[in-house]
Amino acid sequence: MAEKRSSGVEGAFVEEGSVAGGSFVPALRVPAVPGLFADEGGAKVFGNKCVSCGTPYFPKAADCHNPHCQASRMEDCAFSGKGVVWSYSVADFPPPPPHKYDKPFKPYVIGVIDMDNGLRMVGQMVDPLERVRIGAPVELVIDTLYHEDDKAYTSWKFKLV
Amino acid sequence: MREVSVLGVGVHRFGKTGDDVVGTKSVTELCRHAVQMALKDAGVSWGQIEAVAAASSRFSGGKGWGLNGNDVVEDIGSTGIPVYNLSAGCAAGGNAFNVGYALVAGGVYDIVLVVGGEVMPKGMIQTSGVEEATDPEFLRQRCVGMPGPSFWATLARRRMFDHGTTEEQYARVTVKARKCSVGNPFARFQKEIGINDVLASPYVSNPLRLFEICPVSNGAAAAVICSAAKARQFTGKPITVATSAVATLDFSDALPRGLAGPVPAGPSFHTEAKAAVMRAFEQAGVGPRDISFTELQDNTCYYELAFPEEWGLCEPGEAQTLLESGQTTPVGRMPINPSGGFVSFGEATTAMGVWQIAELTWQLRGQAGARQVPGAKVGLAQTNGLGGNATAAILKR
Repeated sequence: MAEKRSSGVEGAFVEEGSVAGGSFVPALRVPAVPGLFADEGGAKVFGNKCVSCGTPYFPKAADCHNPHCQASRMEDCAFSGKGVVWSYSVADFPPPPPHKYDKPFKPYVIGVIDMDNGLRMVGQMVDPLERVRIGAPVELVIDTLYHEDDKAYTSWKFKLV
Repeated sequence: MREVSVLGVGVHRFGKTGDDVVGTKSVTELCRHAVQMALKDAGVSWGQIEAVAAASSRFSGGKGWGLNGNDVVEDIGSTGIPVYNLSAGCAAGGNAFNVGYALVAGGVYDIVLVVGGEVMPKGMIQTSGVEEATDPEFLRQRCVGMPGPSFWATLARRRMFDHGTTEEQYARVTVKARKCSVGNPFARFQKEIGINDVLASPYVSNPLRLFEICPVSNGAAAAVICSAAKARQFTGKPITVATSAVATLDFSDALPRGLAGPVPAGPSFHTEAKAAVMRAFEQAGVGPRDISFTELQDNTCYYELAFPEEWGLCEPGEAQTLLESGQTTPVGRMPINPSGGFVSFGEATTAMGVWQIAELTWQLRGQAGARQVPGAKVGLAQTNGLGGNATAAILKR
């Protein structure tokens, strides 16, 4: 992945090495959806947790969904860290809208990850299919999803460690 | 609750836009064919239909509002009857049947028409129709890009890990399904296919291949249902609706439908489908081993192996052995999708739950031809749809 530095805009980074007009210019890195995740101080996603029963949520839930929970008490939480692959598949063909991708389409692995923080999360894997196995340890990263209007739009992904 | 019967059923053969079967027919034309066939089969005139329970489509007709039942009434005759348009993603047909059943069983109406039809846009189904950050399906597709086939492929991959299922075994499900479809006049595909052809088809979402995933189809289905008392005026051998059930996703579901769920999760990968089927068993007073045959939602061949195990029709991990020994064919001891299933029909999304009722009815009447399950007495039908919707129905003779 390209080196990045903070652009000074919250949630936005500059991606080095993008080619435009034949010369290298940094592409502004912006989240594909604002407010869901960030890269500053380590990759993290913003969710919340019910402090009564311990159930984590991403994205945030207004109330605890656990039917056995006696009292919903939600507290904001930034989730990061490591996990293991529960299962995975490949998008061998481009998904329909509202997905966006750089052309020509390159197949990518989709991981379902059991995180140490208690979330079973879906996300793209940055690694090729040949290297992915059920049970393999991974970490959360923020990486480019697609480019549009000279900007690099990012999302959370998983990377084998 | 009153006993409810299926009096008549109709289906427009499934096909692909532009082919010789459905050509450029509109969803209204497809529904008209299915409804008129069902009315004729029932021996009922349009004027005798007291209400319509219709599946709402987001892809065709319904004035873009899912008013598909209103389209049917406008087309066939504006008799002023009440119309119920039911939306439940791909489970909408099953949901419409459930509401029609409840209205008759509850004594609100005596004779109700249930109908569903689709003209599908080509390609993978666009699951999110909105661009709003508050919609979990939008977030999943924009930030990850996990279309239906990749959701199914994730389940299929996990099954390979849990039960040692092989890619060849998945391919064999398609071979079996397509063999069932031979001679089924309503199936889109009616030709056998060899295992090498299946294994040579490209991955749509590894480990699932093109011929292991149902395409989208155009088609329509209709059923005339009525109280058992009323049915006796029309036929000496009505098919009985033992029950109809609907359920939604449970908190314990194992595979996140949005971006994430909590771990540890429960053992079920489709709690909505399991709950609908378990509820149906309980309401009908039958057990999984009493079922003569099952029509389940095989968007991909994975489900023909996984669902019978989740519902107790066989033991966990046993379905692939039953498949390989021929026990899931129409003449086996656990027939699954004798019609050929979604893999042979393609998915005319909201028509499927009603089409299954037609298939069950023909099987239970002994009118299923080459795909007939010998001595079929009790049939189970199941659908699931986006949003965590599922339906189940049990019909008996």
